[in-house]
Amino acid sequence: MIRLCALAFAAASIIAQYLIWFHAPVEQSMGVVQKIFYTHMPLAWWSTVSFFVNFVASILYLAKRRDAYSRLAGAAAELGVLFSGLALITGMCWARPIWNVWWTWDPRLTTTLVMWFVYAAYLLLRASDVGGQRQDTVLAVLGVVAFLDVPLVFISARYWRSIHPSVLGSQGGGMEPEMWLAVVANLVAMGLFWLALLAFRTRQLGTGAAVTALMRHGSIRN
Amino acid sequence: MLKAALAIARKDLSLALSGAQGLVQTVLLGLLLIFIMSLSREPGELSPPLAAAAVFWLATAFGQVLVFNFLYGLEEAEGARLGLLLSPAPAQAVWLGKALSGWVLLFCCQMVFAPAAVAFLGQTVAGSPLMGLAVVAAVDWGLCALGSLLGALSVGKSSRESLLTVILFPLLVPALLAGIRLLETVISGRGLEAVGAWTGTVVAFDAVFTAAALVLFPFLYTGEE
Repeated sequence: MIRLCALAFAAASIIAQYLIWFHAPVEQSMGVVQKIFYTHMPLAWWSTVSFFVNFVASILYLAKRRDAYSRLAGAAAELGVLFSGLALITGMCWARPIWNVWWTWDPRLTTTLVMWFVYAAYLLLRASDVGGQRQDTVLAVLGVVAFLDVPLVFISARYWRSIHPSVLGSQGGGMEPEMWLAVVANLVAMGLFWLALLAFRTRQLGTGAAVTALMRHGSIRN
Repeated sequence: MLKAALAIARKDLSLALSGAQGLVQTVLLGLLLIFIMSLSREPGELSPPLAAAAVFWLATAFGQVLVFNFLYGLEEAEGARLGLLLSPAPAQAVWLGKALSGWVLLFCCQMVFAPAAVAFLGQTVAGSPLMGLAVVAAVDWGLCALGSLLGALSVGKSSRESLLTVILFPLLVPALLAGIRLLETVISGRGLEAVGAWTGTVVAFDAVFTAAALVLFPFLYTGEE
């Protein structure tokens, strides 16, 4: 599955890059800088999916106590932090020429940054020995609590103030059909990349756990 | 469950107030933070109400971490945690008891922070002090619900108390934002039109994390080390 996803990603990313640079028109007011959007938006989108996968895997771990769910939650959190971090950086590169600032208060920016902090702390906890024997349970509880916080962070940040463009709003954000095609192609390509990474990292964590179990107890448990 | 929770809260409060060690440390840290933040303004210059409210809640957030580390540390000596777990009370009673005692202790600390913020940050309260107390009490419950849930992280041999700050602070952002805005309204007497929206946020935060804690706490508070 990992190879299949990786190969599909390679093919899809070639098409997606072609659509960005040769098919989608240059945006009139923002110019070529707007092309960042085709990478920025899929990164933000798949980071949210990662956090949701972490949430679901955490609930499943608490319900069934299978280590595989804990590893899936861990892999999803790592990808979420990576993708949301890249979404923040690409967003800053876009904001600087358009808004004339690297950072501004906005619900989406703030929510992404707060979630980045929360899941970075989650990874820190995962790497430490906090919780001892019940570390996986502690992490699962944190995974659930963290995702419950997302809508509250978004709402409170929106009440504070907002200037972010609603690109995917009901009006379509004023994008041309060619631009939409590029967006969808990049979403799919990034999704395949995300899936390949998630499957690879989950398997890697499973192998690591099996090796540790073999070294400690001379047997593997799942 | 309520009876057991009240018994735990009473026990924690009498231990906290008799030694006063945990409370003094929290109050001192909060006062230090408010004093250091007051250095950011020129002599004679007044801090904006928004900044004063933010400093007040920052002191509260740090205080909360100390309070819950202290409260959960009480049972770590002599295996008292196992005794608590073996008692016929449900695990949620421990969460509720700790949340209630934390709520009272935090509120006491804030009654010191508030005049300190007014004095050091040059504030005059234009709004209703009663509304201020209600805001502080409502936001505090959300902080204590989450603090009591995640405070259970600091139990066991492999706890690391400093990590709690990094985990807890980003999760508290919605409650802190609401607390800052509402307290700014109390201090300045302006922005009353947004009070409804922010109150809704506080109530939602309190409700979500009270419900989540009731479900999740038994997973965290166990006899495992």
